[in-house]
Amino acid sequence: MTDSQAVKRGTARPVFLDFARIRFPVGAIASIAHRVSGVVLVAALPFAVFLLGRSLEGEEAFSAVLGSARSIPGRVVLLVVAWACAQHLFSGIRHLLMDVGIGSSLNAGRASAYAVLVAAALVSVGVLVL
Amino acid sequence: MRLFTGQSAFVAQRISALLLLACVAVVALRLAIGPSPTFAQWRAWAGQPLGGAVVLVLAGALFMHAWIGARDVLIDYVKPFALRLAVMTFVAAGLCVLAAWTAVIVATHAL
Repeated sequence: MTDSQAVKRGTARPVFLDFARIRFPVGAIASIAHRVSGVVLVAALPFAVFLLGRSLEGEEAFSAVLGSARSIPGRVVLLVVAWACAQHLFSGIRHLLMDVGIGSSLNAGRASAYAVLVAAALVSVGVLVL
Repeated sequence: MRLFTGQSAFVAQRISALLLLACVAVVALRLAIGPSPTFAQWRAWAGQPLGGAVVLVLAGALFMHAWIGARDVLIDYVKPFALRLAVMTFVAAGLCVLAAWTAVIVATHAL
């Protein structure tokens, strides 16, 4: 049954795509952050493999890889990748713990969702400062 | 596309996640306790068979995890079948190329 058929029969589930009316509880934001960071990390993979190869080529290439992280564009990329890495790791740990039944109550889930969002932001800023 | 679906994908996603988590924890700890590694140290570790094998295992976990996650996202958001097939094929082929490239890098420097 297509969506329009379902609407005619009155069996369609309510669909709200009005972004002003959709509620985004913190758990939903943490969930989306896990996905967005995952997609960012997949997009970063070609560069990661390239840098792995460069870093093993020789002293100069190794220094160039580290030096590129200190340039202004390098710092922007580093900030984004560090955030994606930290966010994906922290929310991933949260998901793994929930898989085994730890922290899956509503209150604990909300608290841990706040915690992983804040922790990832702090780590990414920390990586940039270091 | 029946490449890692259902329960096997679920299990592989979590096992690879734990491997990658351990890797990041070790690297973060190493960077936290001392100065960042020099080229000589990096080369001495990654440029021999054991280090190369560790890199290969981690890369395998990484590409598998990337595929399962990318596949989940594409199934959720790319609805037209032809487009989904095209994008999935592109991502799968890209990940295969990157995996092969990683294997070449490791074979070149660690053997």
